[in-house]
Amino acid sequence: MSCSLIGGCTPPQGNKEIKNLKSFSTAAERFEGAHVLCPGCAHSIIVREILNATNDNLVVSASTGCLEVCTAIYPHTSWDCSWIHIGFENSSTAIAGAETANKALRAKGRISADTPEPKFIAFGGDGATYDIGFQWVSGCFERGHDMMYVCLDNEVYANTGGQRSSSTPIGASATTTPAGSHSYGEKQHKKDMLQIMAAHGAPYVAQVAPNKWKDMVKKIQKGFDTKGPVYINAMSACTTEWKFPIHQTIEVSDMATDSLVFPLYEIIDGRELNITYRPKNIVPVRDYLGVQPRFKHLFKPEYEYLIDEWQKRVDKDWDYLQRREESRV
Amino acid sequence: MAKEKVITPEQEAIAKSLYKSTDQFENSIWNMGWDELVPGAACFSFEGEIDHTVVNVNPEDRPNAETNSINKYVGDWRVVKPVWKVDLCIDCQNCWLYCPDTSIISRDKEMVGIDYDHCKGCGICSEVCPTNPKSLVMFDENTKNEDALTQWPEKNTKGE
Amino acid sequence: MYRNKRSMELADVEVWDGNVANSHALRQASVDVVSAYPITPSTGTVEAYASHNANGYVDGEMIMTESEHAAMSGCIGAAAAGARSATATSSQGLALMVETLYQASGMRLPIVLCMINRALAAPLNVNGDHSDMYLANQTGWISIDACTPEESYDLVLCAFRIGEHLDVRLPVIVNQDGFLTSHKAQNVRPLSDDAAYDFVGDYKEVNSMLNFDKPVTHGVQTESDWHFEHKAKQNAAMMASPKVIEEVFEEYAKVSGRKYNMIETYKSEDADIIIVCMGTTYQTAQVACDKMREEGIKAGVVMPRVFRPTQMDKLVETLKNAKAVVCMDRSAPGGQTGLLYNDVTAALFNTPYRPLVSNKIYGLGGRDINIGHLSTIYKEAQAEVEAGKLDGAIQKWIGVRGPELKYYSVEG
Repeated sequence: MSCSLIGGCTPPQGNKEIKNLKSFSTAAERFEGAHVLCPGCAHSIIVREILNATNDNLVVSASTGCLEVCTAIYPHTSWDCSWIHIGFENSSTAIAGAETANKALRAKGRISADTPEPKFIAFGGDGATYDIGFQWVSGCFERGHDMMYVCLDNEVYANTGGQRSSSTPIGASATTTPAGSHSYGEKQHKKDMLQIMAAHGAPYVAQVAPNKWKDMVKKIQKGFDTKGPVYINAMSACTTEWKFPIHQTIEVSDMATDSLVFPLYEIIDGRELNITYRPKNIVPVRDYLGVQPRFKHLFKPEYEYLIDEWQKRVDKDWDYLQRREESRV
Repeated sequence: MAKEKVITPEQEAIAKSLYKSTDQFENSIWNMGWDELVPGAACFSFEGEIDHTVVNVNPEDRPNAETNSINKYVGDWRVVKPVWKVDLCIDCQNCWLYCPDTSIISRDKEMVGIDYDHCKGCGICSEVCPTNPKSLVMFDENTKNEDALTQWPEKNTKGE
Repeated sequence: MYRNKRSMELADVEVWDGNVANSHALRQASVDVVSAYPITPSTGTVEAYASHNANGYVDGEMIMTESEHAAMSGCIGAAAAGARSATATSSQGLALMVETLYQASGMRLPIVLCMINRALAAPLNVNGDHSDMYLANQTGWISIDACTPEESYDLVLCAFRIGEHLDVRLPVIVNQDGFLTSHKAQNVRPLSDDAAYDFVGDYKEVNSMLNFDKPVTHGVQTESDWHFEHKAKQNAAMMASPKVIEEVFEEYAKVSGRKYNMIETYKSEDADIIIVCMGTTYQTAQVACDKMREEGIKAGVVMPRVFRPTQMDKLVETLKNAKAVVCMDRSAPGGQTGLLYNDVTAALFNTPYRPLVSNKIYGLGGRDINIGHLSTIYKEAQAEVEAGKLDGAIQKWIGVRGPELKYYSVEG
């Protein structure tokens, strides 16, 4: 069969050379449309950016959740690469098993040394990563598998209707921690997964957001170049659960990164921290919260103090990040 | 500056060719017999074996299996649809980048068209379009594209 | 051929406990990925295998995961990537990985699980009973039982052949009694490394994720429009597996001189009283059986070698002429009759054969069952045959200190 080959007949390997957005756009998509993710879903934007950043063969896994359920409903698959889903907790371990199999089969000569090494990527939502699959991710990182784990963080169990997870921030109204006359919603702090994964001594951990595509792609490619386990926390603005209009995904993402609620940084070898995005104009946290109906109750007089507390917390955290970056520990 | 941009019939065909209705397949998966059920309900992306890495080949040229979702139609999700005014477009690729449904088709660094079989009408493409007036504008689903092009909004002088 | 490069010289007769025997079978089968977590009493399998690995006898990879659920998840990922994978566990570990057991069988991945049977908490107990074997009974795994280290060694090698067969493609559990077999060193006459690998053969890949010429999606979601067909297809493979199992057992007999059967029998052809049991109890019952024969009771013993899939036709064949069948279940029943009792009565119900069938719950948490107990059981069953009816109840608990516990009364 004939085909139009980009870049010749030799399969290219490694990271795609991306000088600018136009060169990025020449990527041949491996995440196909007609999945059943919500219109405006950021998961899909993130996955496309990640898969398009590399020319390598891929083995991908996903935990039970929006991404998995919407892209692999029998009899259709949206993945133009090998993909596995086992369960909720274990997308990380599934990929670890595949990565180990790859090592064993190569050592035994069952896969020829000529075959280029694939990249192993595990996806999981915040529910799967922060909560039910936490131990599994931790185990994979402790064992040091050569893989990338991407947490698609929309701060709730979105696939099942928006229940709270340990990623849900204080004051958010989730279905199991709803706002009401006697409650302002979620009462616990968002778990700091990046610090936790950095403490595993992972060679590379980073927070990314799809709206800052250049930062994201740079980090993803750095992650692909890093040997060992790489943790990527990807901010995924969820139109359905954060309750903003479907066309505003990128706008809301911009406010998340520009208000520093989702600061973009990387930690190398568990120690060295680099801030990778400094917004020209820092957006007040109030404005970020204001565009998401999941926070609308916080604007009532009895709960408004939480917005001030939130701003203080973001300022404090931003200050900490800057000091840490400066001190080069 | 708007340039003289013309879409070739070949480019137009690409956007249209991405969707194949299941009628075109001999053994529609919906008529799959007992013996054809793959153990473990495994689904293949392509028909048969491919002999080159998939990143070399654009989706329309791949031997997509019937089980590849590229062959599904979700156009009926739309309430509004994006319409593309070619001569305003600067090929910045923002829309390509941010489309959650792989429905903005770009080839050789140029916008080629919209895959209306996979577009769900979320409107992100229009939001991120930087031209003024925008090159992508959302219209009611029932508006014909040629009519939409004559109803294009004026340049916004207040900015953004 | 992808056997391990470094082979071990084994004696004609080795003295191995059940765990060490398993480890050699795994080593000889040249497993690609062992993904495991330690739990008493299966830890020995993993430790012995790790020792083989550390001394260069294993070419594959071994990962020690952070829980049993992760251990099986790793096996599934490896199997889906085209690797021969195996692990070992017991009791709580099995219970923790139950979710993944269903996933493995649903995804039709031929993984081998060396299960050292141990009681399930609470109360906590490390000793041998069959609660974990019974817990796994509906997971879609083929389940085979061994009574001695040698049997476990043999059956683990067979398990790879059975599970990987293209007409089967299902995961397999090989059971053995915790401590009673796993920690008891007995004579094992192993195959040589070459003979063992020749028997097991190279792994046949099906839909491997590492075959980039044919990208495949594993573990899809099916809803009410497709789920039933796929589960039916999985079950059909399970129900068709006995044919393959018997062929593998035949072939193994030629290589080893040891013949396994779907159902093992001891003096059951002309027996009036038959005990149906599994594990080391099968061996003790044989001794009791001989003793009873000397005393004039026509005793016999039957053991389902292949516990799942249930061998209804063969159960009927072996039990039809008996006057009484005593089904002994070594697992806390949880408010029902034991699984062997259920299997036997289900098999006999739609036939004209009507022996007296009773249920004994015994040996929980490693409580000993000895020749004396079994002799009493035979004698009591003989008395029931003479009376023409069961003595008051279907289910009795044997060997409990306290009142006589009996349930499901039968009067008249």
